[in-house]
Amino acid sequence: MTAATLTAAQEGLVSCETCSLLSRPASAAEPGFCRRCGARLEFRRHASIQYTWALVIAAAICYIPANALPVLTTNTLGSSESDTIIGGVVFLYTSGSWPLALIVLIASVMIPLGKLVALAYLLITVQRGSAESTRERTRLYRMVEFIGRWSMLDVFVDTFTVALVQLQPLMSVEPGPGVLFFAAVVVLTMLAAESFDPRLIWDSGHRKRPRHG
Amino acid sequence: MADNIDMANLPQAAVVPPKRTRISVVWIIPILAAVVAIGIAIQRVMTEGPTITIVFAAAEGIEAGKTFVKYKDVNIGQVTAVQLAENYTKVEVTAKIDKSAAGLMVEDAKFWVVEPRITLGGVSGLGTLLSGNYIGFEAGKSAEGQRRFTGLDVQPTITDQPGRKFVLKAHDLGSLGIGAPIYYRRLLVGQVTAHKLAADGKSVEIKVFVNAPYDKYVNPETRFWNASGLDVSLGADGLDVRTESLLALLAGGLAFDMPSFLPPDEPAAENTAFQLYPDRATAMKQPDAIARRYVLYFTESVRGLEVGAPVTLFGFPVGEVTEVGLTVDPATLVFGPRVNITFFLERVIEQLPSEEKAAAETMAEQSAEARLQVVRRAVEEEGLRAQLRSGNLLTGELYVAFEYFPKAPKPKIDWSRDPLELPVVPGGVADIESKLDNILTKIDNMPIDAIGTDLRKAFATLAETLKDAAQLVKRVDVDTVPELRTTLIELRRMMTTADRVLKDADATLLGKDAPAQQELRDALQEVTRAARSVRVLTDELERHPEALIRGKTEE
Repeated sequence: MTAATLTAAQEGLVSCETCSLLSRPASAAEPGFCRRCGARLEFRRHASIQYTWALVIAAAICYIPANALPVLTTNTLGSSESDTIIGGVVFLYTSGSWPLALIVLIASVMIPLGKLVALAYLLITVQRGSAESTRERTRLYRMVEFIGRWSMLDVFVDTFTVALVQLQPLMSVEPGPGVLFFAAVVVLTMLAAESFDPRLIWDSGHRKRPRHG
Repeated sequence: MADNIDMANLPQAAVVPPKRTRISVVWIIPILAAVVAIGIAIQRVMTEGPTITIVFAAAEGIEAGKTFVKYKDVNIGQVTAVQLAENYTKVEVTAKIDKSAAGLMVEDAKFWVVEPRITLGGVSGLGTLLSGNYIGFEAGKSAEGQRRFTGLDVQPTITDQPGRKFVLKAHDLGSLGIGAPIYYRRLLVGQVTAHKLAADGKSVEIKVFVNAPYDKYVNPETRFWNASGLDVSLGADGLDVRTESLLALLAGGLAFDMPSFLPPDEPAAENTAFQLYPDRATAMKQPDAIARRYVLYFTESVRGLEVGAPVTLFGFPVGEVTEVGLTVDPATLVFGPRVNITFFLERVIEQLPSEEKAAAETMAEQSAEARLQVVRRAVEEEGLRAQLRSGNLLTGELYVAFEYFPKAPKPKIDWSRDPLELPVVPGGVADIESKLDNILTKIDNMPIDAIGTDLRKAFATLAETLKDAAQLVKRVDVDTVPELRTTLIELRRMMTTADRVLKDADATLLGKDAPAQQELRDALQEVTRAARSVRVLTDELERHPEALIRGKTEE
């Protein structure tokens, strides 16, 4: 084992998640509070893997209706048209603006899916106690966490359009049920990323050992 | 770990191995998500209607995901795909029908593309100008479900209004279009819904729809006729102009009615086939059951005699010319015109008063032999002859007239031939022609030159006479007129004198203080006085008659 794999938990220490102060826990069961910032100390987040799995699965379930159901219903003088996300991508592509299509495809389809896959990958590797490419996995986690806040772009555009395009009776736009599921996917993946404890990545290889001693 | 406090004696806390992580409440979230998603999926599947395929000849204005299927203006489905099919000759439209309308997708349901239609008969489908074309739907009556349909090329004009459909057979379509109006006594009561060529290609079948309640006026005996456009016919009967309405004039139309000679009947059944007559007159003609055919060999030109020209008996139309042609005598190779006619006995009987009809009808029902005898007697003894006459001097139309010509020479007729030849007399136009010819010949023979010379002489004499007259007038002017003037002056003087005399007389006799009047008045007073004295006397004498002898007594 390299030095990089030596974790604070192995040494019976706990680092504050807020101010990163390394301190000795009050007890193994109850690490107590940070001396510097007063944050609650935890060796590892409580039931992190279980929480993350639950949220990832919920997000994956919501991902299906988010793409299958229409996100926008456009009423134009008697004719109404419902569009799903993929439908919008296809429309943008066929109407010639492939860069926009690509943006929508990446932001609305690939990123949520990528986040789910990435989280699932992280969870599986952590559960299997893989010691491989811990650094890359940490980087992946950071990316997932970073991207999370930008994922609501679709929902944002959708709500904006609905609010602005209300030219009754000429034209009106209504949100479809898909947008709710899409928002749920985004929120759930953000929560999943939040509940995942990246420190677990570094615990691999020390599974058999007592976590503190 | 170890501090300055001695901790060795402290008991080591029991290390309880961390409990196997229990199932966290967080799993409610994915369960909830799954329940909602499955719920939506189930709802989708439950409301999922059938997917049908409609084959159209062309998919004008049909777009996947944008075109709706509408029934009574309600969306019952949406087109999901449009693709070519059947060797690229047809268009296959796939549409998802709502679950609620799934029961309507039966065998005889109809689909058609609704697009804006502007015809003379009206404007329809204007809504599609904004919303785009849609697929119209008409429910069928069958119970048999179906998922593949063939779309109609044209919109059926009638959906499920109450009324009845009928089929008309016509020689040609005329100017009728789908939606062409149908009139009953000039009321708009229906329309043409479809037309197609009959299977043998020799006639046209026109489907019409007559709205309730007018459909009950369509009886098995009803006559339909083409009321399209302006019907102007200039025949031997004169000019006949007729139109049903301005709309029919522009867009074509049909009309129907019952012939007046037929009794009212039960309404006709749905899809009854009728003959479409070209015009009202033809339609209203009584069907002539017993047509007798005859042939006439005229001696004069039959130019102007057309097929269909009337055959009259004393001016009443009783038949028609059916054929006009030539004939040749094989022995002498002499050509002549041949006119075949039909003669309808019913039309003769129709013109008779009721009490005479019976006799005529029994005659009509006699055997052919007996009838031939009747005709023979009429021809040989009464002199029944056919004659060509001019029906219209302007157009030169001819017709065949039958009349009795007792003085006509007895004809030579082969009474066994069929059709029977009836004798003719030259007449009508030919007569006029020969007379004109005579007149012209006479004019031709006139001594125009001699007449001219005579005329000139006469004119010379006339000129002299006129000169004399002028002289006479001049003399009168010179001699007579002055005398006349003096005479007139005398006369005026005389008149003045007479006037004065009369005035005097007036003054003497009639003026207020005229002496004659004064005297007359005095005289009359005298007379009055005398009369009074006489009355006194007579009174006296009445009372004292003795006074006549003794004189007046002193009282």
